[in-house]
Amino acid sequence: MKRWWVRPLVRTIAALALPLAVPLLLTLLLWALPGDPASIVCPPENCTGTEALAERWNLDQGPMHFFTEWIASAASGELGASWRMQAGVPVADLVYESVPNTLALIGLAFIPILLGTVLAALDVIHRRLDPVLHLLGLFPAVILAVIAAAWKVLTYTEFGGETVALFLGAAVLGVADGAFSGAVTGTRSVASAERRQRYTGVGVLRGETELSNILPNMTPALVGQLRARILHLFSGAVVVEVVLKIDGLGDLLWQAALVQDFGLVLPVATVFACFSALLLLAQALAEAAVATWIRWSPSGVVDGAA
Amino acid sequence: MARNPAWMSAGLASLALLGTGATLSYYEEALPTTLNPLFADTMVDRRSQELVFDRLWYHDAITNDLKSRIVQRYEVAEGGQALKIYLTPGVKWHNGKGLSSKDICFTVDALLDKGTPSPLAEGYRQILAGCDTQGNSTAIVRFTRVFHNPRERLGFAVLPASEFSGTAVTPDHPFGSHPVGTGPFKGQKGRRGTMFEAFGNAHHGPALSQLRLSEGQDGSILVRALINNGMQGIVQVPPPNRPELSASDEVALKSYDLRSWWFIALNTNKGPLKDRKVRQALNLMLDRTELRKFSIGVEAGAENSPCEFISGPFVQSSPYYNRAIPVVERANMARAEKLLADAGLKKEGGSWTQNGSKVTFNIGMLATLNAEATDILDQIGNQLGKGGFDRQVDKVRADEWARRVTTGNAQEFDLLIGKWSFGLVEDVNDQFHTRKGSEGKLNIFNYSNPEVDGILSEYDQARTDTAAQDAYHKLHKVLSSDLPYLFLWKLDSRSAWRTEVRNNIIAPYYYFTEIDGWKYSK
Repeated sequence: MKRWWVRPLVRTIAALALPLAVPLLLTLLLWALPGDPASIVCPPENCTGTEALAERWNLDQGPMHFFTEWIASAASGELGASWRMQAGVPVADLVYESVPNTLALIGLAFIPILLGTVLAALDVIHRRLDPVLHLLGLFPAVILAVIAAAWKVLTYTEFGGETVALFLGAAVLGVADGAFSGAVTGTRSVASAERRQRYTGVGVLRGETELSNILPNMTPALVGQLRARILHLFSGAVVVEVVLKIDGLGDLLWQAALVQDFGLVLPVATVFACFSALLLLAQALAEAAVATWIRWSPSGVVDGAA
Repeated sequence: MARNPAWMSAGLASLALLGTGATLSYYEEALPTTLNPLFADTMVDRRSQELVFDRLWYHDAITNDLKSRIVQRYEVAEGGQALKIYLTPGVKWHNGKGLSSKDICFTVDALLDKGTPSPLAEGYRQILAGCDTQGNSTAIVRFTRVFHNPRERLGFAVLPASEFSGTAVTPDHPFGSHPVGTGPFKGQKGRRGTMFEAFGNAHHGPALSQLRLSEGQDGSILVRALINNGMQGIVQVPPPNRPELSASDEVALKSYDLRSWWFIALNTNKGPLKDRKVRQALNLMLDRTELRKFSIGVEAGAENSPCEFISGPFVQSSPYYNRAIPVVERANMARAEKLLADAGLKKEGGSWTQNGSKVTFNIGMLATLNAEATDILDQIGNQLGKGGFDRQVDKVRADEWARRVTTGNAQEFDLLIGKWSFGLVEDVNDQFHTRKGSEGKLNIFNYSNPEVDGILSEYDQARTDTAAQDAYHKLHKVLSSDLPYLFLWKLDSRSAWRTEVRNNIIAPYYYFTEIDGWKYSK
């Protein structure tokens, strides 16, 4: 492919646009919803001060004013404070205490997925296990999370068991919605397609390993798959954190949305968007690196030698 | 040597704190939305704030007398239009500063500041005119007019001036999560719960050292947790879970008077409900005894029932309740049908019609009520259906109720099932006065009746308790005949506490008013 740089470039542009597009979309959604947050706190029919409150929260001059004011503050590092959920607590503090929990949850959930990917690439998971894997993957995260939550509550009572909740959540995320089975079968199908290619057979005949031949060609596809799986874990984390009461970003987003605390919803959703953007950038970098590697190797090949 | 009573009380309170160390864990139906009393929205908010703040005056949970812990004495001043307040010495805020008259006046000014976007403050703007300090411990609170019960009008929680930069207080102030009060406990609102740490003071000596409030989930899990001593109390036990708890020797079910009454508001501006006879017919069509049995589980004639029928807009224990007006306990279909026929409705094929078309009622209900009276919406719908009316039922979320129903903007409904709760003052003027200016702010269907407006003015102008009672007795009589509401019942809630929790007197409405006396040892 001559224009190898197109995909990484598109991904980079998307990564840069995402942290702007998400709050913009949420702002438009806020305006589309019935009743604004200032009127919910202080209904104008029963209360004076609604306008002052709307002005304080930049809700008084339309969605673009609200959006530009918020973006300008966020760009200067000021994320503001929670309006209702944790009234007055700086959003940065709430995000700061939530991020480690979400990263731990996703990191733990990623271990079985990564393991499945590696084992499938090495072709050591037998195909006879596929029906079992598919069966496990059929369960949605919400069902498994509810089962885990019920077990946790009955075992640990309502209090305590935070670490258990984290491991249970990670197990749920790593298995539910075909996370593990998808990692295995997805990697295996990419790897077996490459194995069937003629160049792989030629490489093996030359005494090279199969993996060293197929890896450069399957890396971009695998990186794409892994990015999609991590994103999938992020969205699943919202459900798992809410059900298992893990103090992560997803739970923060959910609780803030329930009380229409847009002072919190907007920055937390943007943090999610930033994570997604980072993954896109990582994928773009990986694609660019692989493309460069392929073009620079093997060394010593002379034009027209074939 | 002269002994300072304030220091002695504080010392005793500290000793009491040293004597216990147990944390009392309890469940509420939700977490408080805020700990700032200016923005209290739910009963959970009010109960939680009662632990952190002192209200200027409160009702004693046993004698119902008006008392104050922070006012040593008071005088009526300026011809009855002001109250001169002398503060109890030695009262400290949770930040260590002393309570002063500045704090009283700051609270009044914050309530009066139009930059404070609070419906509660809006209510006080009709009552309070201002406040002046006279030295450090005397404040004069002025009213907009002479009230027959001025102290009852001062049931607000006192805020510390030192925690705010101005009198315009906003809901996103950090005070909502980390408040500073003079109450028995320091509160801190977290994501999973709210912690309350005891704070010994001249006027409070809580025996408990710590309280932990958590949000309840499934009722049966809560019951198991309580019986297994995973926690010590549930503030409101859903009716289906009560039998299991009452069978347990380790748990005591206690009555909690929410000072609230249930109603069905009728849209007096719409369709056949414009006609008083139709409203009276609906009143007779409802079999309240059956409703109570199937939705709350109270059998007819049950003793000590938590559910008491009412015939007007007050609970039966209120001095404003007119006992001459009987309650409607059972349906009387024959009388109801006669009234409907008199109103020009015809029964065709089992259904009531008006001008040839079937009468269909759009019935709504505040969704949260279902937890207290299971399936009440369907039960009422079924009774009206049995009476010959088509119906469409819909639950209204609490935020929508606040945003649309109480503001008079839910006119698409014909009937709305709800409840009103009252704290210190049982003033129903906002519910029944014609919506105009600052009047009738909670008039759901914009009901308007000049006779009712006149009686409400009489109440407003009353200078004695007797005059106020006479006005509201008259109001009760008129409303029970005109029926902008079908009055249902006063429903006490039930709390469950483990028996290790002793001396736990539950105050009406605010619940934790007498928390100082609560004891708990494992």
